[in-house]
Amino acid sequence: MCPLAAAAALAAATAAAALAAAGCGGGSKGDGTPDAGPIVLTGPVQIDVNADPAEHLSDYQLFTFDAQTGFQFNDRVVPYDINTPLFSDDALKQRAIYIPPGAAATFDPENALDFPVGSALIKTFYFAPDLRAPADRPALVETRLMVRHDDGWHPLPYIWDAEQHDAVFSPAGEVRAISFLDATGAPQTANYLIPERNQCQSCHAEQDSVGAPINLVLIGVKARHLNRAYDYGGTTGLVNQLDHLTALGMLTGAPAAATLPAAYDFRPIEAMGPSIVAPADLDTAARSYLDINCAHCHNPHGVQGMTSQLFLDHTNTDLFHLGVCKRPGSAGVGNGGLTFDIVPGSPDMSILYFRDDTTKVGAIMPLLGRSLTHTSGAALLHDWIAAMPADACDMAPSQ
Amino acid sequence: MQATRFAVLGVRLGLGLGLGVMLATGCGDNKDDGDAAFAVNSCKAVTGTCMEITSGNDTALQTAANTIDASTTLVLGAGTFKMTNQLTLRTAGAHVIGQGIDKTTLDFGSTTTQGNGVDAIGDDFVIQDVTVLDAPKDGIRVEATNGVTFRRIRATWTKAGDASNGAYGIYPVKSQNVLVVDSQAENASDAGLYVGQCQHVIVRGNHVTGNVAGLEIENTEYADVYNNEADNNTGGIVVFDLPGNPIVGRDIRLRDNMIHDNNHDNFASGGTVASIPVGTGTFAMASRRVEITGNTYSNNGTGDIALISGLALEPDTTQWTLPVATVTGDYQDLGLPAGAAAGTIMNFRGQNILVSGNHHTGSGTAPDLDDPLHIGLLLAASYQSAPVDSVIYDSIMESMFNSTDAAKNTDDNHMCVGGNTEGTFASLDLMAQSAPPFTPFFRPAAPFAPFDCTALDGGAVAQVTLPQDTPQ
Repeated sequence: MCPLAAAAALAAATAAAALAAAGCGGGSKGDGTPDAGPIVLTGPVQIDVNADPAEHLSDYQLFTFDAQTGFQFNDRVVPYDINTPLFSDDALKQRAIYIPPGAAATFDPENALDFPVGSALIKTFYFAPDLRAPADRPALVETRLMVRHDDGWHPLPYIWDAEQHDAVFSPAGEVRAISFLDATGAPQTANYLIPERNQCQSCHAEQDSVGAPINLVLIGVKARHLNRAYDYGGTTGLVNQLDHLTALGMLTGAPAAATLPAAYDFRPIEAMGPSIVAPADLDTAARSYLDINCAHCHNPHGVQGMTSQLFLDHTNTDLFHLGVCKRPGSAGVGNGGLTFDIVPGSPDMSILYFRDDTTKVGAIMPLLGRSLTHTSGAALLHDWIAAMPADACDMAPSQ
Repeated sequence: MQATRFAVLGVRLGLGLGLGVMLATGCGDNKDDGDAAFAVNSCKAVTGTCMEITSGNDTALQTAANTIDASTTLVLGAGTFKMTNQLTLRTAGAHVIGQGIDKTTLDFGSTTTQGNGVDAIGDDFVIQDVTVLDAPKDGIRVEATNGVTFRRIRATWTKAGDASNGAYGIYPVKSQNVLVVDSQAENASDAGLYVGQCQHVIVRGNHVTGNVAGLEIENTEYADVYNNEADNNTGGIVVFDLPGNPIVGRDIRLRDNMIHDNNHDNFASGGTVASIPVGTGTFAMASRRVEITGNTYSNNGTGDIALISGLALEPDTTQWTLPVATVTGDYQDLGLPAGAAAGTIMNFRGQNILVSGNHHTGSGTAPDLDDPLHIGLLLAASYQSAPVDSVIYDSIMESMFNSTDAAKNTDDNHMCVGGNTEGTFASLDLMAQSAPPFTPFFRPAAPFAPFDCTALDGGAVAQVTLPQDTPQ
């Protein structure tokens, strides 16, 4: 028997053992079940929307990972990146799209691309000991799947085992202290949140109006975020992501990417700070940052963000709902002793900047996924508010 | 439907990581009927899917909460659950039931990640017989849910008067058919019991103490708040609208509550409640169709009842302007002023409020001299050593104000205090009081003409009934 087949047989045997044990507990790795070794791709992706969540990520056959060679994706699994990413305590992220054979996503100029049933979004969060050398000893923490069912998106969280061989379905989540050197070489320890499954809805839930049904939605896979080049390697090389998906037949209805708007590319700011942003681009850069980091809740359809009436989506043009001289509805300790969400010209008087900069539990924004300050992101918002024409906002009459 | 009894024995069997629920459905031992950990509440009394979860490690509870089907009851055993993350529920018909507030505790004191204590969205939610302790943010937040019951629960923080405590203890928001009964909220750095942007609410028999604001009803319509006790807060029970929230507060009854000794230091870190003067009994701000009746007020240092326009907090009327297309609930019959833009209304006005039959003793003798809006200072300067009147009205938007002649005052806002046999009343021209010397207050004798009306325009506030408010 060749080594690959042996590994596959071992994997199958392990899966069978796990299934046999599942009825009465045990069976997950770490309980004494033989380790199947790293994920081996033995055939096409296996996504069955009628099945229960797989116990192991390997069952889906989406990708393999090796600390030396990185991620290898199965057929029809296409990696991607976005222009301004969500900050998640400096976690590195590998994102990918799976679309079943014979199907394609449909372009949308504003909202997320519309994916066919059976598709999956795959996002793996990992760290390296020194983020100045992210390819050196990467350690996977979790892989989050969103799988498209007939009735919408279903979130499936998986946590990687200590051996980095496979990830286990983990609806309860975990809070894990993770230490690393950040991109400046400074030591950091994040109280990193691997969300509970229900916490997926903290960011991925929208409704048309109060009382309407709640739908799970995607955040990053919008044309403006995807409109950038990605180095696919091999003969494909550096190609625009939207054009590439179209060329693969996995996206229909998309105009040529060069004709479409793109969100601001945050990478230069991450490397150099917001001072490299041209003054004319400051608003665009900041609004792109707010759009991806905040607007999943803070939009008129965000189930939790709706409560605040603070709308940070890139389409909002109403200054009050953008936070200008707006009193927060129910920020509690999140107001940091301040009165208005944004005091134009005065970032240090603005709750929006305070909450994005602080590491005080109870006051941090975004609500989930950040325990450290995103220094370059907070600095961008600081500069954006500072550049607004100064307005002290009306204080109460007796002050 | 036959009751099914499952047991998640995570801690006891030393198992229960990822497979806790499968274990429970397949092979969990049924509880011994005499199990002391489930002596008060158990799955025996539950119709439908039910799981009993033993205290200790929170993993079994988290696994259950994140995998249950709709209409599942989680019965928590006696003891303490040491929580590392918020308990998140996103399933319709999720009921979380402990063994009593002194027996079952969800303890978030060692949680290092940001979150609430219990965070629920999903219609027909019930939480009962449990204490939620030291949540990083809100104690129990229930949002966007039709059918919410808080019964015999307590939300509290260990350290009294600490600005780093969570904001809200019991916090239903943007929800419909909300019942909060026989519960306790303590030591919240904002509001202990906070009903925000809700419709059809009963708040009954609760005790709120040691909070900045004891009990708040915000941008809420059809709420009946009665038989509650509010003491040792900065402010006792308050009703208000905030600018920009798309539901217009209306039809609220505060009746037969005990509101006393609310003289706690204001330890809010900021926000609207940081403006509440120490020693406030009740205020109604930017509110309409409110009845404040039969309550017992005593020993609130600044004063018992204030009727305030929203402009006293936020003078910019554009901030109070709501496009009608975005407004939830009933507002058409309220005669709200139109905003400058077409298709908008404004809800800053305080109007059509009944204050009647309340009892007043010992309040208004020590106005707060340090509140940021200088309300206490104004009262202290105006009353000198005399106690502040029981009911104070700011007269904003009245066409006439005169401090001595009743005939030269109007009651355009239909503020009705004629039904009080105890206590005193005064109105003031708040907008003219920006700096000393202050103009004198108008202090009529009972029945306080022209504010001597005894009924709301449009009829009394109707009784609220809720489908889940059945005898327990």
